[in-house]
Amino acid sequence: MKVALKLVAGLVLVPGLALTACGGGGAGRPAAKAPDAKTWQQDIKGGPIEVGVLPAVGTPSLTFLEDVAAGIEKDYAGADLKMTFANTKARPALEQRWRAGDALDVDYTMFDGTNPALLDWADEGALLDLKPYLDQVDTDTGKPWLDQFSPAVRQFMEHPATKKIYGVPSELSLQVLFYNAALFKKNGITPPATWDDLTTAADRLKAAGVDPIAVTGLFEPYMGMWSDNLWLRTVGYDKAHGVLTEGKGHITDDPGFLKGLQLLQDLRDRKSFLQGFEGTDFTAAQAQFFQGKAGMILMGSWLVSEMADVIPEDFELGVLPFPTVPGGTGDEASMLATAQLMSVSAASENIPLSLEWIHRVTSAETQTRRAKEIGEVSAVNGVPSPPGLPGISDIVTKADRLQASYYGLLESKAKDIVYPEIAKLLFGKQDAQQTLDNLDAGLRRVHGN
Amino acid sequence: MHKAAQRRIIIPFLMPALALLGIFFIYPLVKTVDLSLNEFSRTGMMRFVGIEQYRLLAGDPAFFNSLKNTFLMTLIGSCMLFPPAMAIAWALSQRIHGERFFRFVVFAPVVLSVAVVSLMWKFLYHPTLGLINPALKSMGLGALAKTWLGDPATALAAVTFVSVWHGIGIWIVLLCAGFERLPADVLQAARIDGAGEWRVFRSIMLPMMRDLLRMLAILWVVQSLQTFAFVYIMTAGGPFGSTDTVGTLMYRVAFDRADFGYAAAIGVVLVLVMLTVAKLLNKVMKRDDLQY
Repeated sequence: MKVALKLVAGLVLVPGLALTACGGGGAGRPAAKAPDAKTWQQDIKGGPIEVGVLPAVGTPSLTFLEDVAAGIEKDYAGADLKMTFANTKARPALEQRWRAGDALDVDYTMFDGTNPALLDWADEGALLDLKPYLDQVDTDTGKPWLDQFSPAVRQFMEHPATKKIYGVPSELSLQVLFYNAALFKKNGITPPATWDDLTTAADRLKAAGVDPIAVTGLFEPYMGMWSDNLWLRTVGYDKAHGVLTEGKGHITDDPGFLKGLQLLQDLRDRKSFLQGFEGTDFTAAQAQFFQGKAGMILMGSWLVSEMADVIPEDFELGVLPFPTVPGGTGDEASMLATAQLMSVSAASENIPLSLEWIHRVTSAETQTRRAKEIGEVSAVNGVPSPPGLPGISDIVTKADRLQASYYGLLESKAKDIVYPEIAKLLFGKQDAQQTLDNLDAGLRRVHGN
Repeated sequence: MHKAAQRRIIIPFLMPALALLGIFFIYPLVKTVDLSLNEFSRTGMMRFVGIEQYRLLAGDPAFFNSLKNTFLMTLIGSCMLFPPAMAIAWALSQRIHGERFFRFVVFAPVVLSVAVVSLMWKFLYHPTLGLINPALKSMGLGALAKTWLGDPATALAAVTFVSVWHGIGIWIVLLCAGFERLPADVLQAARIDGAGEWRVFRSIMLPMMRDLLRMLAILWVVQSLQTFAFVYIMTAGGPFGSTDTVGTLMYRVAFDRADFGYAAAIGVVLVLVMLTVAKLLNKVMKRDDLQY
């Protein structure tokens, strides 16, 4: 019997333990030899590369990128660009590939200079430093490649400590206030520039029988856009980012946090949000806005391309920056934004072709076509506003600074503290002071300060 | 001598199963314990921290909230699942007209994917555009209309209901098999002795199916404690954590925060909880075998 037990134990445990011993942590393949920055365009050779793309299969946006890829394949014999969906839900699997040493040649969301949680890949040598290439004069423009990007996005592209560049923006996502311009005109409502204008507009829309503001109750970070933007105005980005994401100081230190929450409570108490928003998915909330059932929606600039199929042809869309808050001591002219950055794997076996992909995607010509045909907002200088987003370029130009959306909370453990409490406030489960108290307790716990 | 020879013969037959058990159960378990003793960077670099992750877990209200929700879901789900499944299986075991059609109707949701079912019910639950609230209002039951997924008081039950609706067909099939295995002569004898159908069900069928029910209860508990997909798609754990389960918390910790060590510690505790609950249930529900 003893022999049998030993055999059984051996058969069960040995393979397990052996496999355990074989497993290991740590990322990646060794870095490939980077091409010379001055001659990389002459070094481009065909071959397969895999590039991450944000649009889903079957969308016009992906078709557009496939056309760009086809152009490269035509120009370089043997080039074969494989597109891999690299947005939201695909990220966990793709990051696992990076950890396993099977990285995409070009990928998104691997770096953001404003988000400490997204510096690790660069710090550990997994990404190619793009600065030497961006510093070279672009033959298309006669200026350094880097100069074509708006200075407002440099902070996203650049590592805050080393000043190396690890990401190039293919598009910008800005948090803006969309409004139904026809509905506003019909009811004689002025598009809100200040918080008081916003509450007045909300009251008048309500009087006209329209829910003032569409919002989802089933995705907490989208509700959090309201508190994020209010705190931008009443506290300022650096202070708010420090307290919320980095645990520098406490949320009770600056009265602007409570003021922001009180303004949000006031909006809630005016019953400004979509009826039944608590159980409404974000797609449904967005659709209700375009159906004229709500007058405004605070959303990312991707809204128009995302909802293209449901926007009525005669819909008059207005776009505004988040209203200023009179008496606010924060950043009155900044706006929250995300630069969708493409990074190149340092281990890519065809770095020149990978660089050519990001060069083509970010060329002024491609970006202009993309803005016109797809409705993407560009970070490249001189590219006009997409027709579906009237005036967005002016809004970006007037913003004194672009600040990172969500304060980098989405990758932080403080996310599970901040946004649920904001949801409770919007749902009417607590008032501004209770929200602040709960946030204070939660943030002290997760940051240990 | 004979027994020893028997043992020698059994071992080679056990080897493939034991090897599979080692690779697909013991290895992942040992590896998970190993991961839980480390701290990870986003890139997957790890540093040994001993039992630090478990110490953090012991003081994490989000974990205890998710554990509470998971148990609540298991309990609510068992109330939603077993009485109707039992009743339908009993009805299908009678000679009724159109039995095959009813079996098909009951089993049909099982073949749908979790994603499809979740999205469909998300729409049905929508407070103004869905079908449930308008139906209630049209029947004069407007007071019962809720923001089902948006109210912490109803969200957990609403998601659990969808999970039960999707899977009940399987449980009914298993229970039907149990009813069909009952000895007809015993049931017939009871009826001849004057027992009504309810008495036959309560005093004969249920006791005879005790072992099957015990096994199904354990299976349900184990399945429910691992629940993830319905919650992830329908509410993502909201509103404000009221539907957050251990599965969804573990996923967020691992993939949003890339905190694999902490997620592994949650996984190890979940395994221990499941083994303990299964063992307890087995012990509590175990009865001597009925001889008939």
